[in-house]
Amino acid sequence: MLSAAALAAYPAAQNLRFQWAALAFAIAGVLVFTLGLIVRWPGALGLGLAALGAEYAVLFVAEGGALDRYTPAYAAGFMLVAELGFWSIEPRIPAWSEAAVAEWRLARLAGACIAAAVLAALALVAAAAATGTGGLALESLGVVAAIGSLILITALVGRRAFDE
Amino acid sequence: MTHGATGKLRVYVLLAGLGLLGALAFGRPELAALAAPFALFAGVGLALIRPVEIRAPAELDLERQLEERHVKLLMEVSANRGVEHLELVLDLDEGLVAETPNPILIHLSPGERRELEVPIRCTHWGTYEVGNLVWRARDAFGLVVYEGTIQSNLRLKVYPRGETLQQLLRPLETQAFSGNQVARSRGEGIEFADLRPFTYGDRVRRVNWRATARRGEPWVNETHPERNSDIVIFIDTFSEARRPDLGTLDVSIRAAASLAALYLREKDRVGLVSFGGVLNWLTVTSGTTQLYRIVDSLLDAEILLSYAWKDLDVIPPRTLPPRALVFAFSPLLDERAVGALLDLRARGFDLAVIELSPYSFVPEGDTELERLAYRLWRLRRDALRTKYASLGVPIVEWQEGVPMEAVVEEVRAFRRHARVVRV
Repeated sequence: MLSAAALAAYPAAQNLRFQWAALAFAIAGVLVFTLGLIVRWPGALGLGLAALGAEYAVLFVAEGGALDRYTPAYAAGFMLVAELGFWSIEPRIPAWSEAAVAEWRLARLAGACIAAAVLAALALVAAAAATGTGGLALESLGVVAAIGSLILITALVGRRAFDE
Repeated sequence: MTHGATGKLRVYVLLAGLGLLGALAFGRPELAALAAPFALFAGVGLALIRPVEIRAPAELDLERQLEERHVKLLMEVSANRGVEHLELVLDLDEGLVAETPNPILIHLSPGERRELEVPIRCTHWGTYEVGNLVWRARDAFGLVVYEGTIQSNLRLKVYPRGETLQQLLRPLETQAFSGNQVARSRGEGIEFADLRPFTYGDRVRRVNWRATARRGEPWVNETHPERNSDIVIFIDTFSEARRPDLGTLDVSIRAAASLAALYLREKDRVGLVSFGGVLNWLTVTSGTTQLYRIVDSLLDAEILLSYAWKDLDVIPPRTLPPRALVFAFSPLLDERAVGALLDLRARGFDLAVIELSPYSFVPEGDTELERLAYRLWRLRRDALRTKYASLGVPIVEWQEGVPMEAVVEEVRAFRRHARVVRV
């Protein structure tokens, strides 16, 4: 919850035209995320994360202009918040745990955050290199990625039962 | 084995889709950069999905153990691939307690075989299935959960712990076979009984020379023969008074097992009648095998609710041999058991009733009315006890915490002072 609040603070603290919208998304995001942690419902976590992403989007809609150089750091933080949130709510029983389990998990968490930062940086560099500030290449990439995501969602819904 | 996608997978895919669509809508690559890690995470995670199969062959170091003792369960956990996060729960019945942490969370590297040694404390008698394991594993990305159970079907028999008893209760009459008990009758034996004049056929070695010299005619010693006896342990399984940790049936099972072991050691023949919702019996026999039969039969004893009216006629006649001492353990809560015991006495059996006191299991009540009902109930039980005593049946109330030695001694004292009523 603290990491979500810290993540929400970055766009909300900027001096923006639509600061009220950023603040609203930040508060809603943190509240819904917290609710998700309390009721242990992944859907609420997803909504909270989406609200935080929307808050970040407000930053660009309001400001426009150049690419945000802090995006890789924000992507790493976003991944960290998501991973910690799902770690918190995953079904488990009070169990004795050997140290290796936590070590592996922390290592994977760190790896995921670093990978997120690197990937975000690569995406930004690719977008900037192609058009300077984006353009047809980015839009093509977006279309392909969006369609790919929808295909993935459809595939997942189709495998809902997922039982053998 | 079952497996299913976690909520995390759905949310990550949704976030990736939303981010990419947002990037498209607002024309900002930052949102695509935010979404790309989630898409990659979900994509790689799904691509690397491989079913997990957990194997955990188990073995017990002992198949039989006494209450409050330990057995060791050895398990070798392995998987068809590395498992980052494996939760294991040893499914133990009530009556068995794992002395190591349970459940546990471990990490299995590829090809690793993890040996787990779980000491189990047997807290309650009974027959148990041990070694059944419930497991849950997650893939490295936490996107898919696998769950399954492993049935080992190892059977563990926990025998009731023994009660100490210095001196056994002797039946009024012995049987025809030789044993360790001094019979009341006279015959060939060691224990001196009396003197009598010599008659034709008496052996010379039986002549009491001192008495002969004093009386001027030959007198011989009479002795008591050593005989065995028949013991029937009668357990009332119609009903019991119970709280979570203890019940009257537990007490009677422990006492019955101890008595059976002690009497069989004395070369007596011991039988068992478990009289309740299910009738269970063992005819009287001697020997170690009979002890195991009795204990195994006691482990199966349980309270089963039944409305069927049962009396002694349902018990096979050979189960209750003549001149047997019937040791009855009952909380005297069910009319059928009370009636059967009275019937036994009426049929001339040497009967000793150990009343397993239900008072410590029944609260007195909070209201005046409840306390009044409680007092009336106790009065009725006192009246029942008096009825047994008036028939010459030694009836002893066994209260919680009192050793069995004291209870048997009380029965012995009753029989010493009370006249045996021939009905």
